[in-house]
Amino acid sequence: MPKVAIVKRELSKTVATVAKVLVILLGLLIAIALTSIITGASMELAGITLLQGFLNLNVFVYISTLLPIAVGLSIAFSASAWNLGAEGQLVIGAVGATFIALYTPFGRQEVVAPLMALLFASFLGALWALPAALLKMARGINEALTTLLMNFIAYHMTNYLVKGPWRGRAVYGYPTTDMIPVQARIPTVPGYSFSWYVVVICVVIALLMQLFLYRTKVGIALRALGSSPRFVELAGISSKRLFLIAFLLSGALAGFAGGVKVLVYHGKLVEGPIVGSGYGFTAIMLSWLGGLNPLLLIPASYYTAALYILSFGLQIGSAAVGDALANAIVGSLLAFILLADFLTKYRLVIRWS
Amino acid sequence: MIRPFLQVVQLYKKFGDITALNNVSLAIYPGEILVILGENGSGKSTLAKILYGLYFPDKGYIKINGTPVIFSSPAEAKSKGIFLVSQRPQLIDDMSILENIALFLSTSPSRGLRKKLSEILNYLGMAIDVDKSVHALSYTEKQLVDLVKVLLAQPKLLIVDEAVTYLPRELKHKFLNIVKGFATRGGSVMYITHKVVEAAEIGDRFAVLRRGSVVGVFEKGVDVSTLRQAMFGSEEYLTAITKSPVQRPLHKTPALSVENLVVFDEYGKPAVNDVSLSVRLGDVVAILGIAGNGQKELGEAIVGLRKVAKGKVLLNGDEITHMPASERVRRGLIYVPEDPFREGVAIGLTVAENMKLFSQSRVSKEILETAIRKLEVSPSNPLISVAKLSGGNIQKVSLSRLLLNTPRVVIAYSPTRMLDEKSRVLILRTLQKLAESGSAVLLLSEDIEEAVYISTRIGVIVNGKIVKFFEGPELESYREDIEKVMVHA
Repeated sequence: MPKVAIVKRELSKTVATVAKVLVILLGLLIAIALTSIITGASMELAGITLLQGFLNLNVFVYISTLLPIAVGLSIAFSASAWNLGAEGQLVIGAVGATFIALYTPFGRQEVVAPLMALLFASFLGALWALPAALLKMARGINEALTTLLMNFIAYHMTNYLVKGPWRGRAVYGYPTTDMIPVQARIPTVPGYSFSWYVVVICVVIALLMQLFLYRTKVGIALRALGSSPRFVELAGISSKRLFLIAFLLSGALAGFAGGVKVLVYHGKLVEGPIVGSGYGFTAIMLSWLGGLNPLLLIPASYYTAALYILSFGLQIGSAAVGDALANAIVGSLLAFILLADFLTKYRLVIRWS
Repeated sequence: MIRPFLQVVQLYKKFGDITALNNVSLAIYPGEILVILGENGSGKSTLAKILYGLYFPDKGYIKINGTPVIFSSPAEAKSKGIFLVSQRPQLIDDMSILENIALFLSTSPSRGLRKKLSEILNYLGMAIDVDKSVHALSYTEKQLVDLVKVLLAQPKLLIVDEAVTYLPRELKHKFLNIVKGFATRGGSVMYITHKVVEAAEIGDRFAVLRRGSVVGVFEKGVDVSTLRQAMFGSEEYLTAITKSPVQRPLHKTPALSVENLVVFDEYGKPAVNDVSLSVRLGDVVAILGIAGNGQKELGEAIVGLRKVAKGKVLLNGDEITHMPASERVRRGLIYVPEDPFREGVAIGLTVAENMKLFSQSRVSKEILETAIRKLEVSPSNPLISVAKLSGGNIQKVSLSRLLLNTPRVVIAYSPTRMLDEKSRVLILRTLQKLAESGSAVLLLSEDIEEAVYISTRIGVIVNGKIVKFFEGPELESYREDIEKVMVHA
């Protein structure tokens, strides 16, 4: 019988990074090979589809929603604040942005409108996260459950709005609001549905949050909170306040992403599950992919976004594999990252005896 | 010629850029107690962890009865009869003592096991209920349970990594007797410590580690100063702690006072029962007691980590009984917790980040480096993760909070536990100096020695009550009385 054991290993940071990149590239090669074997398309064609996923400017559509949510979640998760409600916070953020754009006088003022809308979206996102945080602090109720359930409340509230009081007059009965005023929309790149302004803001947010987590006392304490609330208290920092900060920040950033979806992408409020489209859940995975490090989340969100596009490309493009296969390929690419992470931290010892 | 039970051949182990073990070769014979001596961070624990299969050596190998083996997990080491009791108790907090031990021995928590366990605990004079949850035990009690756990496994090689160093003296002797008896019956013991005197008392042979290398192997009968010389490379630091002249406390009103405090333990029984005490600025008061008599709960209640059921805690005359701990710390109450690993440091952060959090004001790079140099944290790189440090060095990082602040009141729980002689003197001096410069110091300890050296008043706590206060300039002369009260009251 072979004996298999998993042993910790210590690699220097550079070696670990290089190893990870190599494993990821290897994963991509395997994906190309798989696609070409299954579809019979040539390796080049499969390779080109894959490359297109990474070079397509549409990655920024996904990055501008996924990155801010994942950055927020990284802060929450480093503090062991298990916010699984980013999806709902995003949807409520979208409601907030729509409200400013359609139902307040700010909606028709240039520059002011999108800024106000984004701020209010963030505010509502944080507000949507608040009950779970308060319940946890006052009664010790598990925040993972409450935040998860709040997602569905957010979905249905939004559905009610777009099918009821907020249904547009010029939408032929579809469950959406009217388009928001042009002044409130954020100008997009011609031919694409993303905005450089937003992309820049998202990257700036990631950089700021990196500084916050690693350079400020509050940020460092947040990272310690997960392992020991008592340690943090003994350092003179209120653990309850830290928990609240982590929760509200993650809620606000998810709300911000919801605002972006309305102001840049949809141009109106649509049904809850469509606004959210699972980004709040994908971002959970993404935040771990980036090792809860806002800086690493920039490349990680790019990678995830590219996989989104790749999955579409594989289905409709020249390679034309079915959606099941496309998702399988995308999934295995993600698995490769986890494998790379595992292999840089541990090694397998196999002995025959 | 007797064959060694275990041989270690040219072991190397590096952690990132730190060399923990450098070409270490040793042999352990059946029936002997081999003492591994070395200061904090000299590689003692790394060696133990390799022998127990927790770490994988970079180079070198182990031979058991002449055959080379490689352990990739503790299970494999255990199957060869090698057991480790480590510095940090390896127990599952949410389980009872009995369940923990059954789990470790891979048996069921049967009546037979319960009987055996009670017998051995009785012999050691520790009346602990074996159905008690481990999380309700004090650190010392946890260590004891950890030891008993391993003894019940009947090891061939028992590695004791600083695990008895901090037990109360009486208990320690009983335990060492078990260990010695075990060795005379043919078992081997590897006894890891940084306490030279204790080592000389128990060991048959001595191997001294310095910075990861074996710098000397000595036979029984070697004198203590030779061992010290080998351990530290010099003997000059060994100026005993001089008692500072007792100064009149500067203020009449106490900086910290506790009035009729009642605190419950995890099971709703009073752990601290009607305790009153006060500490004036410039004063060092010690509360001594055998582990599990309420010091832990008293300290935690004063700093706010534990609820107060009755009574009052006053800081500078203001009532703080129900304030969150963080608020008390901001008001100048600095607490050195009992368990450095869980409460003293944030294990995932770097040394610099930990220190930044301790300091109530901004720390410059210079202040940080000075603190590291003073405490001789090794390795001295502030950007290294605390998780990579040895136990003693982790305690040093936890203690840096004393150097980075000017506290009004210091409460320290066994602050010199885990430290080698040199660091111990440094920390006791630091506490003395803090008192001289006007802080109030409350020392919670199980160690009479350190208490009589630096305090002006000693209270002995038994079963949650302070049964007697000793006072006066010649506290040392009461040493025996104090010990009697601690054990027999």
